[in-house]
Amino acid sequence: MIAVRDIAKAFGKRRDVRAVRDVSFDAPDGAITGLLGPNGAGKTTLLRMIATLVLPDEGHAKVDGLDVVTDRYAVRERIGVLSDARGLYPRLTARENVRYFGALHGLSGAGLDARIDTLFATLGLGAIAERRTAGFSQGEKMKVAIARALVHDPHTILLDEPTNGLDIMSVRTLRDELRTLRAAGKCLLFSSHVMQEVAALCDRIVVLSHGRVVAAGTADELIARAGTAGLEDAFVALLGSDEGLAA
Amino acid sequence: MSAVQRTLAILRKELLDTFRDRRTGTVTLLSSILAGPIFLMLIFNLMASQAERARELTLPVQGGEYAPAVVAFLERQQVKVTKAPDDYDAQIRRGDLDVVLIIDDAFANDVAQGKPATVRLVFDRSRDRARAAIDQADALLRSYNRLWGEERLMLRGVTSSVANPLRIESDDVATPQQSGALVLFLVAYYGLFASVMGGMAVALDTTAGERERQSLEPLLMTPARPAEIVVGKWLAVCLFDALVVALTLTGFYLTLAFAPLPPVGVPFLFGVREFGRFLLVLVPMILMLPAILLYVGSRARAYKEAQANVSVLLFVVSLIPLVQLFMQRKEPSWIMLVPVSAQYSLLNTSLRGEAPALAQLALSWIAPLALVVIALVAVARRLSREAILSGK
Repeated sequence: MIAVRDIAKAFGKRRDVRAVRDVSFDAPDGAITGLLGPNGAGKTTLLRMIATLVLPDEGHAKVDGLDVVTDRYAVRERIGVLSDARGLYPRLTARENVRYFGALHGLSGAGLDARIDTLFATLGLGAIAERRTAGFSQGEKMKVAIARALVHDPHTILLDEPTNGLDIMSVRTLRDELRTLRAAGKCLLFSSHVMQEVAALCDRIVVLSHGRVVAAGTADELIARAGTAGLEDAFVALLGSDEGLAA
Repeated sequence: MSAVQRTLAILRKELLDTFRDRRTGTVTLLSSILAGPIFLMLIFNLMASQAERARELTLPVQGGEYAPAVVAFLERQQVKVTKAPDDYDAQIRRGDLDVVLIIDDAFANDVAQGKPATVRLVFDRSRDRARAAIDQADALLRSYNRLWGEERLMLRGVTSSVANPLRIESDDVATPQQSGALVLFLVAYYGLFASVMGGMAVALDTTAGERERQSLEPLLMTPARPAEIVVGKWLAVCLFDALVVALTLTGFYLTLAFAPLPPVGVPFLFGVREFGRFLLVLVPMILMLPAILLYVGSRARAYKEAQANVSVLLFVVSLIPLVQLFMQRKEPSWIMLVPVSAQYSLLNTSLRGEAPALAQLALSWIAPLALVVIALVAVARRLSREAILSGK
């Protein structure tokens, strides 16, 4: 469960680049919450604040009741993040990459290896588990990064534009995996600028524009509010334009 | 999960990553073990050929017919006298000849009139390998001059001590090890250099490289504290650096102990004892340079940028011993507080066959350890700042 209240963040020497302004929303357990907004709407900054990497200027955010500033390390133990930066260690094998992060989360030995086997089996990485990641395709690298984010079985999962650069098959694998996690009662927060992606997957949608929340609710609620026929039209109506979005 | 366990997990991963990097690893390790042998072979052969030239001096002479007595004296001194070619000047400039003796055609006339007769040595002192031959030719002519002068005095009934009020005695207190000064300098220099080069590639890869590969942000989102990340990486770089230094010294040791080096009259000692003293003296460098390299690397966004910045560090470290070599005075006592300088000085002490004083060793640790702490804290602070995430 993620609770964000009146959070704000500005960058630049004079703090004049206001990336996120007074954002509040909830992301409940057992649901996929989507952050939809054009490029530059503040999605990545918002996710980085929840992931404890960036300190909010104002407001606060809590993950399972733990504050992202004062309890940052406790929060880090409970979250799994697939960030915008998802580089792997090219000289290590897929398994070694994931094992490293497992070790940093306090896992070790046979338990860790069994966990990696399960993850790799679900993501279809079994055949390349012992190969160095240097030669991996975009989709394969992406799957290793997902396994890395999930290795400690986090209760809360943050994903920043997870489908970027993926082929159709990989996107389908990812969607299936996210639905499985939802069924397991996890709290998922997912950012994207792809309308279709959000429409297909998310239970609740938070629409962001210029650092502010423009609208929030279930797909039906958004359609009703915008008075449009479908969800994609509702997004365009709520944002005022489709600039920076992708169907 | 304790801080120590996380630090060890980082250390383990960095070592694995380093040894997987076959190309960099092989080049670094091979060049460090081969440096000593190649280096010493070159130096010893140079010294041997110099000694050879001094022992079997061949002196081309022009105008030998004007002063047969001089030529006869030189030949009595085992010098091989040859006729100088006409273009001796050009040959000396090219380095084909070391030194040529020119006897003035007015030699006999001047001698008959009681005037000093002119003999001229032509040489190029900027050529190191010619130096021994030049010095020997010069010394021979001077001793002929003195002998002849003494004979003249004796003919006039004056004892030779009238013209030689000073008796100059030289008493060289250098132990046998001290005579190979150039070799001493190079071995000490190379030992220091190994401690910079050894950690460089690894330190930059694990900081600037990690940022460039976009794996830093995921790492920072784990429960690992910045301090643990920094210490883990630092320990990994130190271990690799220590390995490179040890291999370099092993190369020197094996070469000096077993290789058929030409005999140059330098009973140069680099045995197990010197090996141990070297390592002991270099420990502060093995701890300090990785920390500084990590700091330089953490300031850069990409590996290439870091490499450019690190060249400044390389320049400083390689310049300090040179300054000391040319600073011909006795070293001031505060030099033990200057990193690199202190180590260079202590390495030289060890090579001269003496044990570095414990008090000096202790002093030489102060500044490097302080720098380790400062550099590591600075890197940890950089890792906690949001700015580290920007600038992809």
